[in-house]
Amino acid sequence: MMTPRNPATARSVLLNQLVALLAICQLTPVYAEPIKFQEQIAPILVSRCLQCHQGSDLQGGLNLTDLSSLMQGGDSGAAIVAGSATKSLLWERVRSDEMPPDNPLTNHEKAAIEQWIEEGAVWEGSPIDLFSITTDQRAGRDWWSLQPLQKVEPPSFDSGWTRNSIDQFIYQNLLAKQIEPSTEADRRTLIRRLTYDLIGLPPTPREVEIFTQDTSDNAYEKLVDRLLNSPHYGERWGRHWLDVVHFGESNGFEYNQPRNNAWPYRNWVINSLNDDMPYDEFVRQQIAGDILAPDSGGTIAVACLVTGPHNTTKPSNDTMRKTMRQDEMEDMVGMVNQAFLGMTTNCARCHDHKFDPISSSDYYSMVSALAGVEFGERDIPLDPNTVQKAKQLKAQINELTLTLNTLEQEARDAVVRQQVEEANPNSGPQPIAAWNFQADLSDQIGELDVTLFGTAKRDTQGLVLDGMTAFARTERLTQPLSEKTLEAWVRVEDLNQQGGGVISVQSSDGVVFDAIVFAEREPKRWMAGSNGFSRYESFAASNETDPKNLIHIAITYAADGKISGYRNGFPYGNSYTKNLVTFAAESSEVVLGLRHGVEAGGNRMFRGTIAQARLYDRVLSAEEVAASAQSNGIHVVTEAELVAQLTPRKRDKRVQLIQQIKQTHEMLKGIENNSVWTALSIPAATVNVLVRGNVLREGDVVSPRGLSAIQIIESDFGLKPDAAEQDRRLQLARWITDPNNPLFSRVIVNRIWHYHFGIGMVSTPNDFGFNGGKPTHPLLLDWLASELQENQWSLKHLHRLIVTSATYRQASKMNSKAAAIDSENRYLWRKTPTRLEGEALRDSLLAIAGKLDPRIGGKGYRDMKEYKYKGSHFYDPIPQNQPEQFRRTIYRFSPRGAKRTMLDTFDCPDPSTLTPQRAETTTPLQSLALMNNEFVLEMAQATAKDLETHQTSPKDQVRELIRRAYSREAEQQEIERAVPFIQKHGLSAYCRVVFNSNELLYVR
Amino acid sequence: MFDNIKSTQPASRNDLAGCSRRELLSFGTFGLTGAALSSLVSASQKSHRNIPHFVPKAKRVVHICLMGGMSHIDSFDYKPELAKLHGKELQYEERPATFFNRIGLIRKNDWGFKQHGESGLWVSDLFPNLATVADDLTVINSMVADSANHTPATFQQNTGFQLNGFPVMGSWISYGLGSETEDLPAYVVLPDARGYPAGGTINWSNGFLPSVHQGVAFNSQGTPIPDLFPPDAIAAETEASSRKLLAEMNQNDLARYGTEDTLLARIRSHELAAQMQLTVPEVTNLENETKATRRMYGLDKEPTAEFGKNCLLSRRLLEKGVRFVQIISGGSFGSPRINWDGHEDMVQNHNREAERIDQPVAALIKDLKQRSMLEDTLILFTTEFGRTPYTQAGDGELGAGRDHNMYGFSLFMAGAGLKSGTNYGETDELGWKSVKDQVHWYDFHATVLHLLGMDHEKLTFYHNGIERRLTNVHGNVIKELLA
Repeated sequence: MMTPRNPATARSVLLNQLVALLAICQLTPVYAEPIKFQEQIAPILVSRCLQCHQGSDLQGGLNLTDLSSLMQGGDSGAAIVAGSATKSLLWERVRSDEMPPDNPLTNHEKAAIEQWIEEGAVWEGSPIDLFSITTDQRAGRDWWSLQPLQKVEPPSFDSGWTRNSIDQFIYQNLLAKQIEPSTEADRRTLIRRLTYDLIGLPPTPREVEIFTQDTSDNAYEKLVDRLLNSPHYGERWGRHWLDVVHFGESNGFEYNQPRNNAWPYRNWVINSLNDDMPYDEFVRQQIAGDILAPDSGGTIAVACLVTGPHNTTKPSNDTMRKTMRQDEMEDMVGMVNQAFLGMTTNCARCHDHKFDPISSSDYYSMVSALAGVEFGERDIPLDPNTVQKAKQLKAQINELTLTLNTLEQEARDAVVRQQVEEANPNSGPQPIAAWNFQADLSDQIGELDVTLFGTAKRDTQGLVLDGMTAFARTERLTQPLSEKTLEAWVRVEDLNQQGGGVISVQSSDGVVFDAIVFAEREPKRWMAGSNGFSRYESFAASNETDPKNLIHIAITYAADGKISGYRNGFPYGNSYTKNLVTFAAESSEVVLGLRHGVEAGGNRMFRGTIAQARLYDRVLSAEEVAASAQSNGIHVVTEAELVAQLTPRKRDKRVQLIQQIKQTHEMLKGIENNSVWTALSIPAATVNVLVRGNVLREGDVVSPRGLSAIQIIESDFGLKPDAAEQDRRLQLARWITDPNNPLFSRVIVNRIWHYHFGIGMVSTPNDFGFNGGKPTHPLLLDWLASELQENQWSLKHLHRLIVTSATYRQASKMNSKAAAIDSENRYLWRKTPTRLEGEALRDSLLAIAGKLDPRIGGKGYRDMKEYKYKGSHFYDPIPQNQPEQFRRTIYRFSPRGAKRTMLDTFDCPDPSTLTPQRAETTTPLQSLALMNNEFVLEMAQATAKDLETHQTSPKDQVRELIRRAYSREAEQQEIERAVPFIQKHGLSAYCRVVFNSNELLYVR
Repeated sequence: MFDNIKSTQPASRNDLAGCSRRELLSFGTFGLTGAALSSLVSASQKSHRNIPHFVPKAKRVVHICLMGGMSHIDSFDYKPELAKLHGKELQYEERPATFFNRIGLIRKNDWGFKQHGESGLWVSDLFPNLATVADDLTVINSMVADSANHTPATFQQNTGFQLNGFPVMGSWISYGLGSETEDLPAYVVLPDARGYPAGGTINWSNGFLPSVHQGVAFNSQGTPIPDLFPPDAIAAETEASSRKLLAEMNQNDLARYGTEDTLLARIRSHELAAQMQLTVPEVTNLENETKATRRMYGLDKEPTAEFGKNCLLSRRLLEKGVRFVQIISGGSFGSPRINWDGHEDMVQNHNREAERIDQPVAALIKDLKQRSMLEDTLILFTTEFGRTPYTQAGDGELGAGRDHNMYGFSLFMAGAGLKSGTNYGETDELGWKSVKDQVHWYDFHATVLHLLGMDHEKLTFYHNGIERRLTNVHGNVIKELLA
């Protein structure tokens, strides 16, 4: 028999008590009462039939969602003849176990169907669908978590135990289970528990002393307020949030590049929590902050959408690339729904959700809402002081540059006049080929004349390329080319293009190449393109901002492998070193407008205008490049010629100016480096359902909208399928944070509860669906959700309510009688002891040793060295013995796939995975780490040293350490045991033992 | 070992699956000594998933994992047609989709093929030593994957998914079966001495499984495991006194706060850690092996010494009861190559890589056999995808390298419960696409779990809404491979 999952089903089973004709199992059961369609038949259809017999992909052409479709039938004819089961095809298929395939109906289900048809197949109510009701197989739209919040009053229990409304709910349940709650824990247990819980650090001995001696009535409340107001609160609870959104600081996958500027998001989370930003605003900004609050951190907040892994190894094949984009969307849509709504939607990428009322169309509607989100970097607005400072520096640079230009221009003009007079066009940096496309297609130096392909054309602006089919190719090189400089004067007409080549030297099969490429790996930036990115590394330079600019761009390739970029005559970011390749004579050529290859296509095509281009068989010096840029390609003046033209005084002046410009640039770069890893907003495509998740099988077009299963709020955003990107995300943010969205407030209340008690009222914080846990205290959950909303979504208000409850303040002692009824303590008859998380453990050791650097925010620290090997980035642990590393662990640079450290051993998750709750394991590797890890031993020594400077006698040293580590006074027996040990083995050996002890590791 | 201790599933949904937090405390079945803990373990045995689901054929696994994509048509998938069409254009109607999208002319296999052993299994001259154990191999020639991009394909090979963040096969098996020893991790990884593969430790990540199931990478130099010993030696007497004092303090703590399962487990974990400190140096000391054995594995000469050490070490680890050893052949991508990614020059690339591993792997198979361990050990020899029958070159050009091929490739298994000296499945006449008895990684994983006594549909772990499986929602055990 069906196991009833919801009360309605249970009732229906009870109502229709089976007449006892079941003595022998072969007999078909018969129901005494007439069959009730809604209670008996609809659940069978929904749970057993509709997966295949509804929607656009009907199996056998049969639709079972309403009576007329049923009568009309499918490919084999009418499914039902009312009043006669034997004449009904549906009954025939069901009776013979042909349907449903693999998993036939039970005798009771069959009996109900048969009898229903015999009784005339009466269809009560409207058409049904897969999601219409909850069955024993799946959740429908009537699923508990999708219903509106209930208006609840706390039960009135006048007990000496209860302190606030939370306790009234808890006490009611305990009474019903006949479990006695525990009494309040002692003061020093409370302060240790509360301090770890709210700020993630142990209380100092002084703090313990103040609290235990505070006799005022509100001593506990004062402590709660102090901790909630501590700036360390944001660090502690920010760490929880970073788990939920899988914040990681590298891309993952093959290259696993670091995200060196992802940390501002972490600080945004910390600061927002410290400011008690209303939770709905906190979430809105993480979905659409770049639109809602661009000037106050919102652009950083949307980094939330792109915290996950991101594969930058892009194949040439289009289908493969599209599939990879869908993988990104799955990660993003999955994270948004799980983190904010506790709904798992990933399954619906390939088919309607098997357990929850989420269709593929729902899923792709959410994809559409986020379709314009791309992984990348943005320049964020600078604060006013910095802007002012930058303005001054820029003015200085302009002034210096003008002076330099004027000085050089005189000399250059003189050289040019001489050259013209001497008719010596070969002086200066001598290109081996030069094209002035404003004039013609010929090589002004050698024989590398250009032929146009596709729609390429030439006009007075230069070589005009459409980014689609246009490119140009030269004759083959007549000399081999190793050291080289590529140079072009170019207009980028579309700043959003990704990967077009301006000028490229390539093997004539188009495989091996060195090219000036725009925005293939970083939006809006230049790079040295090459086969398999083998000579690529980010220049880490600025974005192009104006498509109208004529830009001079040059890349030099030196014999020692050094590759340098120049833009408008100034170095473009950083140089780096790779291998130099040689292009053979007669089998190499230059292509323009095409990154590489033999034909047009893909993202290799450049859109823009190339005014002039040049190729050199040597590395131009920085000065030469600058000179060339300034000459605008009309005359080439060498550094030597320029210098020779200057008087000694002017020479010195020039050197000085160049030096000053360089320094000022450095300063400007330092303060203006405001590029952060965050979500980019790109034009959003129209999205189709992808049938079975296959990018080649496009189904219906969808509009951006929310999950239709939440019926109390309008899921339709009122947007067209091709709506603007920003409108889509704005509406998504509004829909998610709608006060009437019942999941939104329930999920965060449960999350907060989970972190306070070690387990939520719903045991699966990211899953409020069919496979998730059911709430142990549904009314309390709804009451707290309303309380949160009524208090301006203040999370601190919620914390305060929870931690001041008697429930929270209970002692943690085991009670075997209670444990026999509720072994997991789901009904909260005590406070469950918890082990310190890896971060809290490390922070504690630093705090006990007196080494903790308590600064809030900033860039953070690294406990690993990053290196690149064969294109992949690796992260190996390094010793942690520098004061700048002694910061709280939330500030640790956290790439994916780094080598194992003590933190991983203590269950800190790799940021590849969404982690709504941490595992709490106990392993010998943890024991080895605590006993032998260099950092732990370092901290033991530092603690010993610190104790020795403050306390002279071993007894006092023990007393102080016990206070710092356990937040209590040492017992006489403890001291007597410790002192001889210290005398024999040293104080740091004793600290090491304390660090390993259970009393330190567990919070009671 | 670790699994005997405590590994609490974070989402204990007692209201659904009937698995309470307490019941999920442990998955191990062997050798617990602490009295309090044995009661914990017996509680778990009664209820936890009833593993094994049926009688296992294999108890342990050694997985040789080739990074970069070994060419099937140059190793285990003999295609005489290639020689006939050498230098010719592809005649397929559909233009193949490959990573670099460059379709050159067809190239013949660069190594000769011969039939070997009584079985007459075709093995190319690329692997002369493996050819001598042909009768022990079970070759699958009809593998397919869903990505021709190294890292997603490698993730799929090891986790069933192309994304970051899913548990690898070794972690799943550790989760399902635990370890037979208390002194060593259940899942050990022996990376290539030339470096970690791309993606680093994601390749042996426990994903959402408890961290106890993460692969523990043994360093080829220095201390095998991080933190096995303190960086500066601590006097034995201090060490002993410290442990004694720690035990006393923990007893004091129990008296103060009451007994909890987790506290007992942690006390026990200190004892196990001390045992590990004895076992790990012993098992990694290859000097304990005879000269003949060392020579058999190729430890005496340059190209084979590094990989040979890992093969020999893996045998020693398996003997000690480690459940899953993964030996990696190949480091990260990029140029010059240190893996099987023969884009430029197949002969040069594959000769170099094969020479490193051919003799050691063959030695491992022979050694396990002579020690009667092959009967209940499963050997896996896999790569993320194969290579194309045409060269990676311009139209009409005959190149020397081959591109990635996810549509058809080969791997072999050997040992427990398998029909040996046999092939399964076929690719088309050029070796491009798998055409007969196609095997996806899901099927391969299902078969591996089956041999270990586990039903791939029942080995599950709840994570964010789904009872996750190694095989996602797919997979069929390949019955034809089973003895």
